[in-house]
Amino acid sequence: METILNVLFSGVFHASTLFLVAAGLQVVFGVQKVFNLACGTFYALGAYFGITVVKLLVDHGFPKPLFIAPLIAAGLLLGLIVGPVIERGLMKFVYDRDETFQLLLTFGIVMMLEDVIKFIWGTSPQSMGGIDLMYGQLNVLGATVPVYNLIVILCSLIIAGLIGYLLLNTKFGRIIRATADNREMSEALGINMKVVYIKVFTLGTVLGTLGGALVIPAGAAVSEMGVELIVLAFAVVVIGGLGSMKGAFIGALVVGVLKSIAISTYPELEMLTVYIIVIAVLVIKPEGLFGGSRV
Amino acid sequence: MENALGITRLKNLGLPLVIIVGLLLLGLPLFAGQFLSYLMLTFFAYAITVIGFNLLFGYTGLLSFGHALFMTVGAYTAAFLTSSFSLPYMELILVVAVIVSTLLAALIGAICVRYIKIYFAMLTLAFGMLFYTFLLKFYYMTGGDEGMRVLRPFLLGIDFSETPKMQFLAGSYYFYAFVILAILTFVMWKIVSSPFGLCLKAIRDNPEKAEYLGVSVKKYRWYAFVISAAYAAVGGALLAPAVGQVDPGLTYWTQSGTLVFMSLLGGFEHFFGPMIGGIVYILLQDKVMSLTSYWRFIFGAILTFVVIAAPGGIAGVVSSLTKRRARGG
Amino acid sequence: MEKTRREFVKLVGGAAVGAGMLLAGRGKAGAQAKPVKGVPSEPVMIGAMPGLSGVIAVPGTAAWRTTQMWVEEVNAAGGILGRKIELSMEEETTAKDCVERFRKLTLEKKCDVIVGLMSTGNGLAVGPLAEELGQLWLAWDATTQKGVEETMPKTKFSFKSTDNEAEAIGGAILTAKFFPNIKTVVGINNDYSYGRDCWDAYQAVLKNFNPNVKFVDALWPKLGETDFTSHIAALKRANADLIMTSFWSGDVPILMKQATAAGLFKRSKACFTTGGGAHYTLKKEFTPEGIILGYNSFYFRWTDTWPLLKKFVNAYYTKYKEYPVYECDHAYFVLQAYKEAVEKCYQILGRWPTKEEIGKVLSGIQVPSLSGFRGYREDNIMSCNFFMGLTSHKNPYDFVTISEMEVLTPVQIMKPFASAKLYDWIKGWKS
Repeated sequence: METILNVLFSGVFHASTLFLVAAGLQVVFGVQKVFNLACGTFYALGAYFGITVVKLLVDHGFPKPLFIAPLIAAGLLLGLIVGPVIERGLMKFVYDRDETFQLLLTFGIVMMLEDVIKFIWGTSPQSMGGIDLMYGQLNVLGATVPVYNLIVILCSLIIAGLIGYLLLNTKFGRIIRATADNREMSEALGINMKVVYIKVFTLGTVLGTLGGALVIPAGAAVSEMGVELIVLAFAVVVIGGLGSMKGAFIGALVVGVLKSIAISTYPELEMLTVYIIVIAVLVIKPEGLFGGSRV
Repeated sequence: MENALGITRLKNLGLPLVIIVGLLLLGLPLFAGQFLSYLMLTFFAYAITVIGFNLLFGYTGLLSFGHALFMTVGAYTAAFLTSSFSLPYMELILVVAVIVSTLLAALIGAICVRYIKIYFAMLTLAFGMLFYTFLLKFYYMTGGDEGMRVLRPFLLGIDFSETPKMQFLAGSYYFYAFVILAILTFVMWKIVSSPFGLCLKAIRDNPEKAEYLGVSVKKYRWYAFVISAAYAAVGGALLAPAVGQVDPGLTYWTQSGTLVFMSLLGGFEHFFGPMIGGIVYILLQDKVMSLTSYWRFIFGAILTFVVIAAPGGIAGVVSSLTKRRARGG
Repeated sequence: MEKTRREFVKLVGGAAVGAGMLLAGRGKAGAQAKPVKGVPSEPVMIGAMPGLSGVIAVPGTAAWRTTQMWVEEVNAAGGILGRKIELSMEEETTAKDCVERFRKLTLEKKCDVIVGLMSTGNGLAVGPLAEELGQLWLAWDATTQKGVEETMPKTKFSFKSTDNEAEAIGGAILTAKFFPNIKTVVGINNDYSYGRDCWDAYQAVLKNFNPNVKFVDALWPKLGETDFTSHIAALKRANADLIMTSFWSGDVPILMKQATAAGLFKRSKACFTTGGGAHYTLKKEFTPEGIILGYNSFYFRWTDTWPLLKKFVNAYYTKYKEYPVYECDHAYFVLQAYKEAVEKCYQILGRWPTKEEIGKVLSGIQVPSLSGFRGYREDNIMSCNFFMGLTSHKNPYDFVTISEMEVLTPVQIMKPFASAKLYDWIKGWKS
């Protein structure tokens, strides 16, 4: 029981990160039809920036236990800046192009941002020290779970709920869904696509940067984190179905938990697990588990 | 329509140019330094790979983001035959590389060509990464992350082990690779201007119409996939002895990205575009890497620029310039 | 010609080893600032190939910084035999690109010597190339059993680093010493050659001391993994007395942090054979005391009695606000060895030596480096002390250092010559 719980908790923790990044990928794909390879790099940016902000504040006497507030603010702020800049500066030029060009543009963005991170933060691993340990651990039926990990899971769930609310119950959400279904019609109805695209891309970016900022107290920022995450986020959306928010949620859980189970049962197979699931899904049900439904 | 026009014009105006450039490349080792010859040798390998890749990308409209897989198959074939089986005959290596990659591509292709656009790209990416992981994981066979040695092959049955390595690479091996590139370029030219090639273009431009006209779209896509894989394998097999070592890094997804980058940079709408992209990429990388440790940024910026401002690549820019001049005159 | 070479070798043989003489030679060279007779006036070209992205970026950056610092210092003191040094850097990336860059440095930039490279695959590619091109290559790392035993039995131009397994062997020796009562061990190592070599060697050596110890499980995250929560769940399940890992890059603080957060060290001891590769990231807040931590061949607090170390650590910290790691000394040593080999050749020949002559003198050389005397064996493999100990919070920094420091000598943790079989050598310890 204890083992099962440990494996489950770790899988869900992993999944909550993956969900945020994949959700950013999905929302952009759903509306703009752009598969954004830079989602992993946004995650890395959020992580580095979060560390810098929290360190700076704590050094200036900010009460440590409250660090999570500036952390979230940092993630949000960064996404709100980076998103529109990239959307207006680069993405807007390729919406009418073939998907191939859009994919390649995001590949170019990955290459550039990787070096920007290296330029600003160098190559040494960055961390916030043991700030997350302050919250201690919780015993659940014999399993020891760091409280901070639970907070991350909780935040991720809240964000998932907010996105769900946003999509289903707001005007903006209805516009997003309408655009995802039929762009021409939305345009014909007089919706300002320019504004929608800026908002959607920014939302996608914020999900990435916020994900990075939230998770990083429980780890350390290293230079390879962005590129590594792309492949995993990619697996999540393939499994869940491209463009589907529900798919991102389930896909993240599937990847996170299955990977965790594989590590505990057949550690030799760890490297292969994710790809085997991805190819199996692509071969059997290429539209993914929730490919039918949109956003 | 635009592309068809571009290609015909290149054929009419470009043939003498192609011959001149070809002769220049052929004679390069006579007047250039060994290092430049070596760079061009790697270019030959990439050129073969990208003209094959472009049959799929430019002519059939399918973006493979895992094409480095087949290049790696070719490279590991060279490693296995020279190191593990002591069969260092280049011709044999090429034949085996083509057979292995054809079989593998037939299988992977059968799965992948059912999908197009982003799904095709993702599926090929997944296969490329699966192969990467396979090479790492089955290390007792493949050497894992350390890779395998590639020993010097015999060319046409002749043993060159007495020749210093650089002389060999900038000499016999250089010409050998050049001849293969020339032959394969000619063959590809024949393929794309044959009815088969026209069918591929028809499929790219309007698959429904092509199907309606009796072209089996999936089958033709599959053919294109297999042919392009065979080209990539030859490219990889030629690259491996020049490097002397193969490792799984060759099939990481960013390497596939490099192939796409080359094709796009040169212009995938032109027959020689990807090759132009290849040579520019290789020379540029050589200079930029020495210049700054932030060379990735520069390459990202170039890619971004090409995608946004010059989607026709170098060949596209050149041909629109000449077109404008022709119109003006 | 042939005769002079033989004479030269004889002379070198006669002059070799004496450290005192070496130091004398060094002092003399330091004073030379004007053009030296028989020495060309144009600068010495040194090519450097550091890894600057991905996992190897952590040690790669450290080594590259050290290389620049060394060159600056030597240039300020007049260069090598009065020749200024010019650096030419090419990044270490894939094997294909490394081969290309190495050729470029040799053929285009006409480098006199090339230092660097860390990844083993790249080392295996470049080693034979160096021999073919007749180019001196002094590796920072990039060594495995495979590289040592099979590929290059005798080299003239490539000088390799220490064996991959040295740290794991040292870690096992210290495990037996500090934790003689452990009964079960679980391993977590990266799924690639270094990780597997380390786990195998660690098991073999520990079994030698403690035949009853059980190795209950082994986890294999891929190199570059950045989240270990799932592995920690598996480590908990294994419930072993000790956790062994050979992580060396940015994954060290992540593993340490997440393990502490999950309360893993309440039950288990640990042995981080190579964690010193990123020691300054192991903050006290999340790193417990009393676990084995290996610093490879350089520990920045090794001693107060070696001025070279103190000076370097201060200079490095002042410049980069970080404390140096082992790759610094790999980088420092190879340059220092090159310089002294050249000077030694000059004493005998009265002119600037050829690459081959320098290679001959480098074989078996001993020079003062940051971590004490370091050298190349006769088979051109680096030989140096390794530093390990138990983590401690008793220091003025915000990260851990080690107490009960052990200096492990090459005799203890490296097989005596390249062609020796590692596991035969380990088995032979008992008899």
